[in-house]
Order: sequence, then C-alpha cells, then structure tokens
Amino acid sequence: MTDQNSAIEEQGKELFVDPLPGQERFVAPLEETPLKEVDYLDESVPPTSMWADAWKVLRKNPLFIISSIVVVFVFIVALFPQLFTKVDPLNCVLDNSLEGARAGHPLGFDLQGCDVYAHVIYGARTSVSIGILTTIIVTLLGGFIGAIAGFFGGWVDAILSRITDIFFAIPFLLGAIVVLQMFRTSSSIWKVVFALAIFGWVSMARIVRGSVLEAKNLEFNTASLALGSSPIRNLFQHIIPNSLAPAIVMATMSLGSYIVSEATLSFLGIGLPSSVVSWGGDISNAQPLLTTNPSVLFWPSLALAITVLAFIMLGDCVKDALDPKSRTA
Amino acid sequence: MTETTNMKEKLAEMQRAQGPLLEVKDLKVDFTTDDKRAVHAVRDASFSVYPGQWVAIVGESGSGKSTSAMAVLGLLPGTGKVVGGSIKLEGQEIAGLKPKDYQKLRGSKMGLVPQDPMSNLNPVWRIGTQVKEALKANGMDVAHEKRSALAKALAGDEVAVKTNDDETFIGSQELPALFDAAKVALKAAGKSDEKIAKLMERFKEEWVPGSETRWRVADDLIKAGVKDDDAWVVAKEHVTGSTMNDRIAGLLSEAGLPDAATRARQFPHEFSGGMRQRALIAIGLACRPDLLIADEPTSALDVTVQKKILDHLHMLTDNLGTAVLFITHDLGLAAERAQHIVVMYKGQVVESGPSLEVLQHPQHPYTKRLVAAAPSLASQRIISAHERGEDAKALMEHQVKGEDALKKSEHIITVEHLTREFKLPRKKELFKAVDDVSFSVKRGTTLAIVGESGSGKSTVANMILKLLEPTSGKVIYEGQDIAGFKGRQLLDFRRHVQPVFQNPYGSLDPMYSIYRSIEEPLRIHKIGDKKSREKRVRELLDMVEMPESVMTRYPNELSGGQRQRIAIARAMALDPDVIICDEAVSALDVLVQDQVLRLLNDLQAEKGLSYLFITHDLAVVRQIADEVVVMQHGKLVEHATTDEVFDHPKMQYTRDLLDAIPGGKLQLGLD
Repeated sequence: MTDQNSAIEEQGKELFVDPLPGQERFVAPLEETPLKEVDYLDESVPPTSMWADAWKVLRKNPLFIISSIVVVFVFIVALFPQLFTKVDPLNCVLDNSLEGARAGHPLGFDLQGCDVYAHVIYGARTSVSIGILTTIIVTLLGGFIGAIAGFFGGWVDAILSRITDIFFAIPFLLGAIVVLQMFRTSSSIWKVVFALAIFGWVSMARIVRGSVLEAKNLEFNTASLALGSSPIRNLFQHIIPNSLAPAIVMATMSLGSYIVSEATLSFLGIGLPSSVVSWGGDISNAQPLLTTNPSVLFWPSLALAITVLAFIMLGDCVKDALDPKSRTA
Repeated sequence: MTETTNMKEKLAEMQRAQGPLLEVKDLKVDFTTDDKRAVHAVRDASFSVYPGQWVAIVGESGSGKSTSAMAVLGLLPGTGKVVGGSIKLEGQEIAGLKPKDYQKLRGSKMGLVPQDPMSNLNPVWRIGTQVKEALKANGMDVAHEKRSALAKALAGDEVAVKTNDDETFIGSQELPALFDAAKVALKAAGKSDEKIAKLMERFKEEWVPGSETRWRVADDLIKAGVKDDDAWVVAKEHVTGSTMNDRIAGLLSEAGLPDAATRARQFPHEFSGGMRQRALIAIGLACRPDLLIADEPTSALDVTVQKKILDHLHMLTDNLGTAVLFITHDLGLAAERAQHIVVMYKGQVVESGPSLEVLQHPQHPYTKRLVAAAPSLASQRIISAHERGEDAKALMEHQVKGEDALKKSEHIITVEHLTREFKLPRKKELFKAVDDVSFSVKRGTTLAIVGESGSGKSTVANMILKLLEPTSGKVIYEGQDIAGFKGRQLLDFRRHVQPVFQNPYGSLDPMYSIYRSIEEPLRIHKIGDKKSREKRVRELLDMVEMPESVMTRYPNELSGGQRQRIAIARAMALDPDVIICDEAVSALDVLVQDQVLRLLNDLQAEKGLSYLFITHDLAVVRQIADEVVVMQHGKLVEHATTDEVFDHPKMQYTRDLLDAIPGGKLQLGLD
C-alpha cells in the first residue's frame, strides 16, 4: 500500500512540476467555511403548501389588493344596490329627460328621464351575475369535456376535439344572434348566460385538456398507478387537482370578458330587453347622445370598464402567483 | 516520456513568463430576491487560469460554480450582480466594464460552451448560419487562422510559421487542384504509385478546407518526402484562402462532425445531443478565444459520447493554445481533464491546487467528503468501507450472506425473451425498443440494468411493473406470469413490486403534503385506520432518516435528495419484496447520491429486499449491484456478476462503457 502510494506521488511529481504562481495549494480555514450536513433540511422555515405560497405572493402584490377591493366593492353593489341609491331605476319620468345633476340624482337623467346613477348601480347586478353564472357553467362544462378528452385520449379525444373545433369555427356574434333569436320573448338573464356559455366553454375545454394531458404524463401519476391506484381514482386524486391552476386563471380572466360580451349583445339590441337594467343596454341607449350629452354615455361605460379591468387584473395576479415557473424549490 | 515532460516544462515556463490569462480575486456575487434580500451566491472566490491551461471548478448544485463563470463572462442571469472583488483578463480589470465593452470581449477573447445542447441552439436556424453568426459578430477573418502566441511558440518547434500568409486556410474550390499538384510533387520526389495513393488517401482526410492551413500542407508534404522548396511552392500556389462556407464547414469538422459541409445546412432537430454539443463547441471556438468557458458541457450526454467529445475538445484546445475553464460536478472528470482544480462549496472556494494533489490528499472536510463519495473513482468502495470501520464489517457480512443467498435462493423475478415494439410516426416498420431480453433477479440481491439512452432499459422496467404490455415474452413474478394478473391479484402484485422513479421533482404530487404522499399507498390498499396509518408514516420517515416535522410540508420545499427519500418511504410503505429503481439517483449531487445509495443498501440488508436498478452510470453499479445486465440498442449485451463485469468485461461495448467512466483510471488515496 505504501509502495503504491509513493509510486503515485512520484507520478504526480513528474506530471506536475510546480504549481504556477497563484495556483499553489489552498485550503480554506474551516471556521470560515462551516460544513453543513449532507442534504440539510432547515426545519425552522414554516411549512407552506402551493396555495399558501400563492397567497403569500398575492398578499404582497399591490395590483391584487387594488383589483380585489374593486371586485369586492362591485359584488357588494350587485348584492345590495339599495344601500347605494333609494331611487328605483325603472321609475323614469319623461319630464326629467336629459336633466342635469341635482340633489338625490348626482349624475342626472338620460333621454327617457331615468336616473343615470341608479341605472349604473342596478346595472352592476346584471353584469356581475351574468359574468359569474357564465364562468361557472363554462368552467364545469369546458372542464368536464376537456378532462375527459385529455384523460381518455384516442378516439374519445378525437371526437371531442373536433366538436370543440367546430364551435371555434362559428363566429361568436353570429352564433349568439342565432341563439338569442330563439329566446326573443324571454327577458331572463339566463338566455344571455346560455348564449355566452355555448361559445365560451371551448377555450376552457382546450386549456383543461392540455393541462390534463400534461399532468397525466407526470411521474407521480405513473408512481400512483404502480402503487395500485386505478386510473379513474388518479383522475380525481391527482390529475384534476394538478390541472386546476390554469383553469382558475382562465376563469378569472374571462369573467371580465363575459361582462363585456353581455354589454356587446345588449348594445346590439339582441341581448337583454330594455326592461332589465344593464350597462350594455344603457350604453346602447345613450349612443345617439354621444355629441350632445356625453355624460349619459360616460358613466355606464366607466363602470363597465373599471369592473372588467379589475377582473382581468385579478386574473393576471392569480396567474403570476400560480405560475409554476416562478416557483422554485 | 521525457519529450512530453520537456514540452510540459517548456509550456510551464512560457505560462510563467506570460502570467495568468484570467485572474479572479475575492469575487463577490449577489442575487436579489423578490423581497429585496441579498443572497450571496459567490463569496470571496479567487482563482486563476493560465494561457493554454485547463482549470476545473468543481462543486454541487448551488455551490456558485456556474455563477462564478457567468460573472467572468459578464452574463449573470436575472438580478445577479458582481458586488466586490476583481476579474482581470490579461491583466486588465473587466469586472466593471460597460455591457458594450463586454460584448467586444465575448467571442473573440472568451468563448462559452453551454450546458444544455438541446436548448442552446436556435431551432429555426441552420447549424451553419449559427456558426456564421458567431464569426460575423466578431468580424472574423475567415481566410486566415488566428492562433494564440502560445500555440505558435509551441508549434514553432516543428515548422517555422514565417508570415501570417502561412496561416491561410485551404479553400474548397482549390482543393482538386491542390491534390493534383501534391500528386505531381510526390511523383517528382520519386515515390512509388502505391505509396502516393496511400499518402493521397491520408491527405484527403487531413486537408479539410477551412480548417487546415498552408503551413500544414507544406509540412505534410515535406514529411512525405517532398523537397522543402517544392512543397512551399505547391502550398503557396494552391492554398489561397477559404470562403465563409468553407470556414463554417472547417470549424464543424474540427469539432468532430463528419461530412461537415452537409451538416452545416441541417437544422438542430436533425442532430443528436452529442452532435449538437459538437456544434456548440465549434461556435464557442469559432473566434479563437483565448479562454473557453465550458459549463458542464457534457453532463446531458451519455458517458461514451462524453469521453469522445472531451477528448476531442482537449486536442483542439491544445492545438490552438486555448485555456479552458471547465465547470463540472464530477470530481473524477475534473481530475482527469484539468491540471488545476478549484473546489467550491456554498459560494466559497474551500480548496484549490494541482488536481492530483487535491484528489490524493484532500484537506478540507468537504473535499474529503467529495472524494469519498465520488462514485466514478475506482477505489471508492474499499475506502469508504475502510473509513466507516464498524459499518464495513456489517457490509462484508451482508455481502457474504448475499453471496450465500446467490447460490441457493430462488428467482423472484424472471424475464423471458421479452420484446417490445413501438410504432414510430411516419415509419412503416416497427421499432424494437427491447429485443429478446432474458434475465432473472435473485431474491435479496440487486440486479442492475446498465445502458445508454435509448438502450431500452426503462422500457424493460415498465414492462416488469406491468405499466406496459410486452409485444412478446414473459415476466414471471414468484413463479407466475404477470400477464394474467387482474383485479385482486394485480393489486397484490402492485403491493409487492414498487417503483422509485428518476425525476425527484416529478415523482411526488406537488399538491399532496408529504404525509398524504406517503399515506397514499396505505389508502389505496385500505390498510389500517387513520391512527395506525399515521404511526406507519412516522415509522417510514424514520426509516429514510427524515424528521417527522416534514409531514406537513410540500414537495417544493424539499431538495431533490430529500424528495427521493420520501419516494423511497412511499415505496416501502407496503413492505414490498422488490423495488425497481429507474435512474433513482441520477439527478442527485454526488454526496446526496451516496447518501441515498447507502440508505437503499441498508434497507436491503435490513428487509431482505430485491432491487432492480436501472441506470446509465456504471460507477453507481459498482456501489450497489450484485449482478449486472448491460443493454445496447434494446439487446442484452452482457450479463454477469458485478465483479466479473468490472474485472473481466467480455464484450467490447462493456469495455467502452468502463473506459468512459471519468477518472476511473486515477489512483486515489485518502489521508
């Protein structure tokens, strides 16, 4: 053994004459470079889950705070409009047509003599409920179809994906006009929700299908199968929870766009009847007054813009917080 | 031998005279986190690189080795910033340079060969275009070679390079005429036809347009027997410079790509990983930098490819006199390739010095740990056993028991003529991923399947786990063909045969707490009630040496090694007989890898488990396996006990694999 060692040293000497200046042997003093245990686990750091982590990120995001305050405020207005105005929005007196602001009516009156402020307040309920209902239906329907397509693959996927493609190919407005024409007489907001959901589930299905496909091929899923879990159990226990994040992001971001779509439909006169107060309808009614009395057009538009912006910003913040790429070990 | 020693001395003398090419002193690099805290990625690191020298920085992930290299290049990612110390290139301070001035240095003075060959080439550009971009960005003269003073001086021994014109490249247009002239000159020198044909054959191979220069042609002719003057006349007349395309092809062929002119017109997706890495080497060396920074250039490649590429890179940089700063996590590889080693740990340099000396007499406890754990170093097992003293005895006992068991125990898993075919897109014939493979795993022992990527080893594992059905052949578990397992029987099989997968970041559900992850198998098999399950989870955590407090944590809070230990705990939950480890330690740092291997070893000794160990790393095999199956292109190449495979490999392929283990031939000793 010692012979061998000295032979090695000989060899070493021959190979490396002398270290070059600045490359002499250096060993850092141990007190300056303390050694930690291999694969040390810092137990002092409190445990967090993915959701808790996301919440920590969100809590510190000013954009999230502002947009969620706005969203909460809009919800309160939608739920309890009576708190904000005592005026009945449908009690319109033609005598007041285009009157300016006065006590109790801070934003004046529109062409029909309706109180603009009351309309803006009551319009929130329609817009928000259409947005939320559509989002729920779209998420459930699109999520279900997307999950089935991604999970089963093969011919199931082929058929479902072609159906999605067909719905994608129909122009939204044209389709919505056709659907809404079928319920011309109804004044319920459900018909608009229905029209929006019919064309909205497609994007959701595609997103969920993609994330299910991705989650399906992850190793923990294979590991679980090898443990004896059934594929269907895996779908509910592993795959769906892991594809929730993109669906949530998609849902929050599109909620705003459904509100805009409702406004578009109402603006075109094919959405809600004039008996239902909505921002889209108000904007539509105020359109001829753009040059003469722009404030009547301005207020519902502003309410719509702020609400939609708040929802989209909220979705953006949620996306940033849930984005797995920004999260490292 | 003395000649090379003389060369080495001469080189050292010149290096001494020129002084260091790169001198990093007390380098400090900070990253800023989201909440504005500074993280010290590199703290007071000092090292130097001399012209023409290979220096290796060794360390585990997060040690700051890549960050130091990127700081030298001025390419720190994200919020990284040099906050102290100096970086001198050829005596000039470059740490505080403006981005624009830095840009001038990169490419021409410093080149980079990045880590991941898959993502570092632009997929929409032809390979040639990407080389061209590097040449153009630095305004390279494509007709003449740029050789460092060092290389010139060393080459000057053989032939005097008189003027810059002597460094003119051969152009592809003039190549035929050059061959004709060479033939005539050889004839005039009185060579026989046979000899001429032989020489011409060699010239055709060696005279690559855009890579070989005029003096080399003259040199070759002179060595072949042509008179000095005649040779120079031929060389001067027929070597007048190359075009851009010649140069691109020349660079690629220099990097070891055959048929380079055609390759230059291909896209990255048409290249294998090794070929892409060669293209990246060509790009890194295109502008003849004095310093090449190679950041784990081969860690994504198979060992045999790694060896070929590094051998080639070594030859190239020696020829050009390029210094290389080589970043690696593999101590064996570093010692084999570099003259000087710098060991980094948690952002600090803990030890540096001549590589053999550092390896043979490590002083800092961290380096000692690294040397002891490095699987690639041949004498590892004996030393670690020796060091562990008491443990060694237990290990021996286990081995003896193992050997005893080897003879009499039955086979727990037998694989007979296993074949699996896959249909490839756009191809008619089926692809045989696994081709007639038979072997058996003896109870209580470890069988390793070794092979490079694409050898079909993981496919075999998946078929044994019944996650994939074989095209033909049988998998027999405890005397029963698993093909017929259904329902109750299958559940029972799953309970006894457990996998541990490769990717520690993918094998645990990120939405599950550690407790839920380990508990999952118990729930699936409906074992125990809530209370007894919790007790079992605690036991399992203890078994894999993890604190109980980890139960409430989530996988993203744990390191790769810790996650892998959790995955092992989950696999152990049902008291299995067989554990199939598919590259279970490949993604881990050496020390962590060593720790996990020991854990697996201890568990086997304790519970009498049988392991099927799938790996590409022969060095790991030696540490854990009793028997080895070597696979190549879906076929079983060799099957023998571990000692036999390592000491008397029968097949050439096995020998190649063994040769390619970095540092395998280095002799080590621990103080």
